[in-house]
Amino acid sequence: MKLWLILGVVALVLLGLFLSVPFFYRPAGVGEEGVMVRRAALGAKIRGLDPHDIGDTTSAAVGGQIFETLYTYAYLERPYRLLPQLAEDFPEISEDGLTYTIPIRRGVYFADDPAFPGGEGRELTADDFILAWKRMADLNNRSTNYSSIFAGYVEGLDEFRAYTAEVDRVDYDLPVAGLRAPDPHTLEIRLVRPHNFLLYWLAHLPTAPVAREALEKYGEDLVNHPVGTGPFRLVGNYRSNRFSMVRNENFRRELYPDRAAEELAERGLLEDAGREIPFIDRIEWTVIEEAQPLWLAFLAGKIDSSGIPKDNFDQVITTDRELSPAMKARGIRLIKAEDPSIFYYGFNMEDPVVGENRPLRQAMSLAFDRETYIETFLNGRGMVPTGPIPPMIPGFREEKGNPYTRYDLDRARGLLEEAEEIAGGPIPVLRLAMPGTDTTARQMGEYFRIQMSRLGLEIEVDYMTWPKFQDAAKTRSHQIFSLGWLADYPDAQNFLLLFYGPHRSPGPNSSNYSNPEFDALYEEAIALADPEERIPLYHRMEDILIEDCPWIFTTYRVIYALYHDRLQNYYPHDFLYGTMKFQRVRSDLPDSL
Amino acid sequence: MLSYFIRRILYLVPILIGIALITFLLFRVVGGDPVDRVAGRYATEEQKEELRVQLGFDRPLWPQPGRLLAGDLDGFARNQLFGHFASTFTFRFGRSEQYRRSISEMIRSGAGPSLSLTVPAFIIGLFLQITIAMLCAFRRNSRFDRTVVVLSVLGISVPYLALIIFGQAYLAGRWGLFPIYGYPERFGFSVVRYVALPVLLGVAAGLGAGVRFYRTVILDETRADYVRTARAKGVGEGGVMFGHVLKNALIPIITQVVVVIPFLFLGSLLLERFFSIPGLGFMLVDAVAGADWPVINALTFVGAVIYLGALLVTDLLYALVDPRVTLK
Repeated sequence: MKLWLILGVVALVLLGLFLSVPFFYRPAGVGEEGVMVRRAALGAKIRGLDPHDIGDTTSAAVGGQIFETLYTYAYLERPYRLLPQLAEDFPEISEDGLTYTIPIRRGVYFADDPAFPGGEGRELTADDFILAWKRMADLNNRSTNYSSIFAGYVEGLDEFRAYTAEVDRVDYDLPVAGLRAPDPHTLEIRLVRPHNFLLYWLAHLPTAPVAREALEKYGEDLVNHPVGTGPFRLVGNYRSNRFSMVRNENFRRELYPDRAAEELAERGLLEDAGREIPFIDRIEWTVIEEAQPLWLAFLAGKIDSSGIPKDNFDQVITTDRELSPAMKARGIRLIKAEDPSIFYYGFNMEDPVVGENRPLRQAMSLAFDRETYIETFLNGRGMVPTGPIPPMIPGFREEKGNPYTRYDLDRARGLLEEAEEIAGGPIPVLRLAMPGTDTTARQMGEYFRIQMSRLGLEIEVDYMTWPKFQDAAKTRSHQIFSLGWLADYPDAQNFLLLFYGPHRSPGPNSSNYSNPEFDALYEEAIALADPEERIPLYHRMEDILIEDCPWIFTTYRVIYALYHDRLQNYYPHDFLYGTMKFQRVRSDLPDSL
Repeated sequence: MLSYFIRRILYLVPILIGIALITFLLFRVVGGDPVDRVAGRYATEEQKEELRVQLGFDRPLWPQPGRLLAGDLDGFARNQLFGHFASTFTFRFGRSEQYRRSISEMIRSGAGPSLSLTVPAFIIGLFLQITIAMLCAFRRNSRFDRTVVVLSVLGISVPYLALIIFGQAYLAGRWGLFPIYGYPERFGFSVVRYVALPVLLGVAAGLGAGVRFYRTVILDETRADYVRTARAKGVGEGGVMFGHVLKNALIPIITQVVVVIPFLFLGSLLLERFFSIPGLGFMLVDAVAGADWPVINALTFVGAVIYLGALLVTDLLYALVDPRVTLK
């Protein structure tokens, strides 16, 4: 009885406490006078903020405000253009293309941190890059970026990587022949073979410098204590679902850009040209993984920008693909931007049924109704693709067209007859592997099955978990599979490498496509230092792929981004994450939650 | 009693070995190739093979008896299964593959937010469920009892997810009575503000089923002989219910309560996710979505240990509350 009384009292007190919340909770207050706060939401948790291992967009979105790289992209220019950031200038490249000498910008300081003597950040030097890249090579750190950026290119770095597997304690002072700092402000990279895409990778966050003092203080825990040279520094623990950043007091003088693409300039994005950045004093981040609370928070003005949840699309966008008047009246604005990505159904070219039957692949491509697919699954946020090179990538040809990406069932049936002749009879049941077991994957698998049944083909769909899907791709046991690819840098090579013969599974060429003519063009193209000279070769490669049909191209994605009009200088960028230094927020706002 | 306790502890050993073995099999059979998660998307076959050797995934999965017979003890012990057992049983779960963070630290930091949500929901829910059930039993077949039964059935019929979505959309989103989401960076009184709505929704979600269950339990007890005896002796209805019936209904109540306790530590998957509360439920969903096997393994094992511990405590409590139960 006594126990019951205690339980009752505790329960009633707690209940009273929780029920009283509506009486003292005020959803909106007045912002701090003169303090500019940017409120941002993350759709997933941050994986980690150790630069070498940043690989997901969430970590990059946060890390991009803290870390900087040698090179970066012009914020407002399209097509995308590289600019020096922590480098003073573009590198001096030796005639054989094997030695890069990069001048490091002077007067760049790390943010203050207890790791430094007296807690004051020190000046950046070339050694900070060498340390960072050795850490990326260190196998114990399990960086997923090493194979993309440096593997097989930098003299001595692969050997250093092998060494890290053999010792208990890695000595980062061990010299690597290909990474030298002749003086604190000069970095020399020696390659074993030319790498014409190296500068793009040096604009990638994983190549950001690491201060030795921070590594010595935090060790393995450096992942939780990011120390960078960027415009903002972290306060508090980013592992919680809410955390903040404030201005890095040591950030050098940098000005808002004065060049922009015409369309962006017309949106008023050059109004702050020449002013000192950053404008924002504080960034408040919140992790909200579910679409509903994210959307409610955006409507309530608690976050400044958002995508559009699938279920709310009709509430926001009119039938002519514009923002609804109700949203406009709330001070919400819309940006539509093409995205350098491609989604597709791939054929395993080593499979005897689909791999050796080009008319069959062409027929299936013609029988896939992309317009309905884009409307059904993407609320219209997509474009019918013309080839593997998507919009925003130099070399994209909108006018080119693709005879196999329009919906033409009659022509498809004609090609299927040809295909049956090659196969010596009716096409057997085909297998499609979907990388997911969720509802959307099932709906997409079913859509494909129905489309092909209209052509007279029977499809069996196998819904797989991602690891199982990867295993099957690696062992080349898929027949048809669904995938997508997002660009890492603005060069068509980043897409065409997916068809290069030596990249076959388990490499990134999951279709196991192999065509000597294509491979020769690819090798010729990547050996050219001038990106403009590569484009005609890229077009010839694309033409081969369009005719060969190793993929059924389904969509180029179009991004719809919403923001409250108090947020200024906001525009999505496909490769640049540290964009908040350009943004400003009108401060007559409700305070945080 | 002591020998019973020791015997039960010993029984736990093979169960825990079985659980560790199952998680290992799941990790190896459905978990895919761990090298893929480390290699990056441009890695070639040769680079992946190198990584496999360097990370120790080229070791045999199982102990090789041949090596033992040849006297090679080191070789016998160098296999992935023994490595898995060693890390699991010493609670050294290593680092999350997804977040590169110590798993023990993740569990420690997630337990607080989970408990701040689940414990109040559990206490309030339990008190309300039993109190309402007692009132129903006290006034059985009255209009009140019938209304509660109908409402309980309705409550059971409303899906948990729908309750959360509507609660969040209206109470927080539309009417602004509670925060829509969030959890403070540091633990303090402000937690109340953020967990209030999820706690109330959690209580509301469990109320129907709980009331139905406890009402049945208590009504069963009210038909017992000792209740008639008490009434015959002139004990009032309140005294009968709280002094006798509640005491005797404790066995099923304890069974129900103790079984729930381990889940309090593991948090509430849906509530944490919808309200952005950084608890262990949120962590488990993320781990499953990201195929973060070390985290799944750690949470499964820790959950199993707590669950088995709770079952043992249940048996001991039976003996404490019911003199008829003896533990041999």
